[in-house]
Amino acid sequence: MPAEKRRWRGIHGLRHAFQWSFFALFIALLTLTVWPLGHVFLGVFLLADPLIAANSLANGVWAWPMLAALAMLLAPLVLGRAFCGYVCPTGTLIEAAAGRSTRRLGAHAREHWRKVPAFVLLGSAGLLLFASGLFLLLDPLALLTRTATVLLYPFLDRMIRLAGDVAYLAPPLRGATDFVTTALTGRLVFAVPRVYGLSVGVLGVFAGILGLNLLEPRLWCKHICPLGALLGLVGRLAPAGRRVNAEACIQCGACEQACPMDAVRDGFLATDTSRCQLCMACADACPVDAISTGLKPRTSLYSPSRRSFVAGGVLALLGGFFAFTGLSRVARNVRLIRPPGARAEKELLALCSRCGQCMKVCPTNVLQPSLSKAGLEGIFTPEMEYRIGACDWACNECGKVCPTSAIQPLELEVKRTTKIGRAYIDRNRCIPWADYKTCIVCQELCPVPDKAIVITEEEVVTPEGVTVRLQRPHVVVDRCIGCGVCEFNCPVAQESAITVRTIAE
Amino acid sequence: MSDLERRDFCRILTGCTLLACTGGLAGCARLLDWSAGTDAGRGRVATMAANPPVVEASSTVTPSETVPAPALPDLAVYTGDDPAANVRAAVAALGGMDRFVKRGARVVIKPNVIVGRAPELATTTNPIALAAVVTMAYEAGAAQVTVLDRPTGDPRTAFEGSGIAKAVNDVDGTVKILSDRNFERFDIPKGRVLTSWPLVTDIFEADTFINMPIAKTHSMAGLTMSMKNLMGVMGGTRGTVHQDFHQKIVDLATLVQPHLVILDAYRIMIRNGPTGGSLKDVRTPKTAIAGTNMPSVDAYGATLFGKQASDLKYLVNAGAQGLGVIDLNKLDIAKGTT
Repeated sequence: MPAEKRRWRGIHGLRHAFQWSFFALFIALLTLTVWPLGHVFLGVFLLADPLIAANSLANGVWAWPMLAALAMLLAPLVLGRAFCGYVCPTGTLIEAAAGRSTRRLGAHAREHWRKVPAFVLLGSAGLLLFASGLFLLLDPLALLTRTATVLLYPFLDRMIRLAGDVAYLAPPLRGATDFVTTALTGRLVFAVPRVYGLSVGVLGVFAGILGLNLLEPRLWCKHICPLGALLGLVGRLAPAGRRVNAEACIQCGACEQACPMDAVRDGFLATDTSRCQLCMACADACPVDAISTGLKPRTSLYSPSRRSFVAGGVLALLGGFFAFTGLSRVARNVRLIRPPGARAEKELLALCSRCGQCMKVCPTNVLQPSLSKAGLEGIFTPEMEYRIGACDWACNECGKVCPTSAIQPLELEVKRTTKIGRAYIDRNRCIPWADYKTCIVCQELCPVPDKAIVITEEEVVTPEGVTVRLQRPHVVVDRCIGCGVCEFNCPVAQESAITVRTIAE
Repeated sequence: MSDLERRDFCRILTGCTLLACTGGLAGCARLLDWSAGTDAGRGRVATMAANPPVVEASSTVTPSETVPAPALPDLAVYTGDDPAANVRAAVAALGGMDRFVKRGARVVIKPNVIVGRAPELATTTNPIALAAVVTMAYEAGAAQVTVLDRPTGDPRTAFEGSGIAKAVNDVDGTVKILSDRNFERFDIPKGRVLTSWPLVTDIFEADTFINMPIAKTHSMAGLTMSMKNLMGVMGGTRGTVHQDFHQKIVDLATLVQPHLVILDAYRIMIRNGPTGGSLKDVRTPKTAIAGTNMPSVDAYGATLFGKQASDLKYLVNAGAQGLGVIDLNKLDIAKGTT
């Protein structure tokens, strides 16, 4: 082995160290995203995501952290798509899942897949133009945040619960178990086990993305990931990158085989800088050490023909238009309650990155991914599900963690007077109204200082003809903020007899 | 065997081990089924520790065989600007914490931590007074002092928002956030309506159980003080307790009888209880009431709101069932200021 070859040997170890450090950081920050947040900002990955930032900017939202996203967007000018190979935690998982597989699609299929990123970008731009953040469902950082929130943390919650239950079998361990449980409650294990709707869907998407590895390792990163496509778009202009010494090259093709990103082109001499992640696997594989990095690399980039560009563009605009005219924008579901601080429905659908960080931080689990109430376009946007939890009087964290300000941060005092809905009593099911029995739970627990539910004492005649004195609840419309404590605690089985419904925006 | 195969073998082995562990854990938990305590059915039979515990001769009180000990009052009511000094004085008047806490005792305190609100709003037990009780228990020789409650919403926001977690931790007490496995269904043999219910096991295992509520209004109970505070040791779905409410509170009190009851009335909530949230509903009697009998303590507490025991149905029921004396004229009440 020639001595010079050694200079790239170390980079894979280094690259993996980078990858897993960023992955660990990502998970650590997300794990710490619990009530109370304190002052450390934990959503730094999402804030520095240029795809999310671009969407926010297009919708007229500006925040200083977006400068980090700008830096990340410009980084490919120097580093190519190094983000994909060194930083992206989703890419790390996909790469790990691919293992040592060397499976490759046929040359013909690869030529077709190569065109996909351009159309992913076109499609995203179409949705963005028509004010729909739906394309962010595929953003790798939002996707991983969402997957961990919906799958990882509920899983950990149950595992810790199970471990505690088993440890409790041994009486000497009970004290320690109680201590650990108390320390972890509200952080990793919850008073009521965490549940999220749509978990099967999230699992399916994530399994599908990992499963694309079966066709070819990192197929998703190469061709479908919209963030990768955006970074690649900037990478096209890269003045530096992989260079091949044409005289030394023996045309063996080992570099092309080794390249995980399909960036080796044109007789192995040129580089697709919109794909190259600077992992230097090619240099490692080269038997004659003809590959190095330098300025003005020979590039080979895919540019859609005018015809396919127009066709793709029209399709994207059509897609965006259908999202724009979605039925959800006409008739709002009366049970669709957005968290306090949420922007108007239209803006929320445009801005929300569907990352689920708000659902991660919510101490009561009331924030749930929307399945159908907000329409197809609103899938995985946050909504309040009051049979699972209620908006806690002491918490305003969802607005603080939102990377797009689709939920705006509210001071606690402001949040406590922000109306997000209004409770209605169903007198056909409410215990004192329908059953002529006593119950005051909704009034008792209403957290509004002057009580948005008042009790009147009445003398009523039951269907059996017995006269009884009863306390009956009434909602005071001007006081109710729609926090859902009443709906959550209502003892009527299954569907609560007091339900929060939407109010006019 | 080549390196590659060994590696794969290790992978498969690790995967299978993880799966087996998970399955094993799940199986064990299924067998146990802690949540069974919330289903209806037969419960465990239990009684509280002897009440009050026998004070050992080795305690700080010098034994005097001939002179009979002075009769201790039924209630001690102390008023002053310092919530800690009030509870200290009140407990001292009852014979000191030594009377209730033996050396090495496990002490459980049940404050009212319904939701997380600042102490100034009188929604939860005063943290300063609570910390003083924890300290007194340690001074009397307690081995462990645990503070527990089952808030109506998220427990962490409740314990931290009320300032109770910090106050208790600062004096080395243990805040315990309850989970399903801390509840077990108990029989309530003398219960008329409520005959069994899942309850926190700790209160039966403790050597000393201290009930330390705050005095507030409540739309159904009228006032919530020590008897109503015990709803916080109930597991399961508590919403249904509100039918035959007044009798169920009494039924629970036939089984759960604290060794010491301290009613925090430093601040009280006179409207919009039990959650409140507005300073205009708060009054400051700056009082602590200590006793050993819940109905008696609550009967005195009612006077702070301008009411009498007879205004509160559950107190009337408790008195009629012989759970305690609710006629203040028949009680020996020690009063003082600090």
